[in-house]
Amino acid sequence: MTARLTPLGLSLLTVAAWALSFAVLSARAELFVAALPLVLALATLTLRRSAPDYSLIHEVSADRVFEGESLTVTVTVTAKSAVPLMELLEPLPRDCNLASGLNRGVMALRPGQTASFRYEMRCPVRGVHALGTIVVRVRDPWSVRAWERRHVDPKLVRVYPRIAPLRSLPRPLHTQTSIGDYVSPALGEGIEPGDIRQFTPGDRIRQVNWRASLRLGSLYVTQRHRERNADVVLMLDTLAEVGVRPETTLDLGVRAAASLATAYLARKDRVGLIVYGGLMDWVRPGSGRAQYERLADTLLKADVVFTYVAKDLALVPPRVLSPHALVIAVTPLLDQRFTKATLDLAARGFDIIVLVVSPVDVTRGMLAPSETDDLACRLWTLERRARLDWLRRHGLAVLEWNPAEPLEPTLAGLERRRPRLAAAR
Amino acid sequence: MIRLPAAAFAAVLFVVPVLPAAVPVVTVLGLIGLLLAAVGIATLWRWPVTSAACVSLTDYTAALWLTDAPVSVAAAAGFGLSLLLLLQSIELARCMRHATVDAGSARSIIARWCGFGAVMLVATLSAMPLAIPLAALVPHAAAPFVAAAGVLGAVLALTATVLRPRR
Repeated sequence: MTARLTPLGLSLLTVAAWALSFAVLSARAELFVAALPLVLALATLTLRRSAPDYSLIHEVSADRVFEGESLTVTVTVTAKSAVPLMELLEPLPRDCNLASGLNRGVMALRPGQTASFRYEMRCPVRGVHALGTIVVRVRDPWSVRAWERRHVDPKLVRVYPRIAPLRSLPRPLHTQTSIGDYVSPALGEGIEPGDIRQFTPGDRIRQVNWRASLRLGSLYVTQRHRERNADVVLMLDTLAEVGVRPETTLDLGVRAAASLATAYLARKDRVGLIVYGGLMDWVRPGSGRAQYERLADTLLKADVVFTYVAKDLALVPPRVLSPHALVIAVTPLLDQRFTKATLDLAARGFDIIVLVVSPVDVTRGMLAPSETDDLACRLWTLERRARLDWLRRHGLAVLEWNPAEPLEPTLAGLERRRPRLAAAR
Repeated sequence: MIRLPAAAFAAVLFVVPVLPAAVPVVTVLGLIGLLLAAVGIATLWRWPVTSAACVSLTDYTAALWLTDAPVSVAAAAGFGLSLLLLLQSIELARCMRHATVDAGSARSIIARWCGFGAVMLVATLSAMPLAIPLAALVPHAAAPFVAAAGVLGAVLALTATVLRPRR
């Protein structure tokens, strides 16, 4: 702990010197007497004092929250020796703000006494925020000397993207081998009736279709479609963004990707992620709660890293981008390199859906109403509409999402052909 | 609320010189001091309060010099305490601004101030009877030089104390 003279000490010295000088010049004893309290306060500096001893506990109510949620931080101090006056300050992480209380505390403690202060912090922006650095300043009884120290007890708070509940999701064209919620074109164990065929030894009695058997004069069994899961790979465009945090096109895209991941995982699908930008990152498809954690951890770190380099999707291992996966590209379509990557995937036969986060509406939300800006936004909308039509002509399923509206109706608007029965696997 | 004690001490600094010498010079100087103190209390800046303390001291000196009144130790001690506590209360207000303040903190600090004030007054009033015979020992012609040397020594000692490096 470093002790230092406070500015108040210098003020007291100035006023004391002023008083003593006037006392000599005016030859009045009253001014000596008036200077006495100031001199006595300064004289406490001659006393050798060790830094006050105390212990500090920093607690955070939650280490994982969703965007917009609050958490409570409690700082508790126990004095081992007398603490005349203590100031504590915990700087707020970037993009976080106070919901209630104050992140500064002042207390005076007797030996053995415990005091605490708490505040509530709101985290409107996804990311990993570091808490636990507390700047402590302890003053002596006359505030002429102060000891300063920085307590570091790092605590990471993960702020996950907000999730919107989704019920109608784009159906994948191809299913995988594990059991899931989709009716597969392949025949086997399941609930959905598929075809009937003649009874063969080994068939179970419960599979017999009595109605067909009576009509055709021999035993027939009902075959059913298998219920299988699918691989879904979310591809997030981090090449460019517009808007102001926490409502940039990337933030909105991350929320959409998190919502899609949660909804597909709830259907027992395997979900993977490719973050396509200046830095490429990916998560292998998987299912379950642990997979959600992996996806969310990758999503909350997603950020725009500027680069001139066009990243090649060939870098992505095949086990991440499996041939029968449904690829949902979440993008504002601001960078031609991402458009090229999606066209490349479509040309390679991937089942791909492009979910376009409209940057026009995000930009319009930032600007003050003016005729010029309005005209510019309309022209931009026309230009983007032409580009989206061009993508549709190349066989891509394109959905344009206006972030002011919920994601669900946009996804529900997608019309997809049903899986072909002939394509049994 | 925390600014109220500072305002009270500033008022004492204005009243103590003006009461014995209600002349325009003293009143104007007192008002300037009060104005600077008000600026300091409103903004919680240190420099107006330090300036207000210096102006009030000048005002007090002028009042004593103009009236040539008999020595009043109690008034002088009260003035000195008000100077100290004005600076302390502004520092405390700065410290407590935008902070969660533990309920006992302000109470214990004010109790400390009151205790110091009482001890200071008793000690000064007790020391005065000792100071008068001691002063008689100093030759009349040498008294100003002794006082000046004493003050110089005190200021240098304080400066050395304030500026020496600390652990």
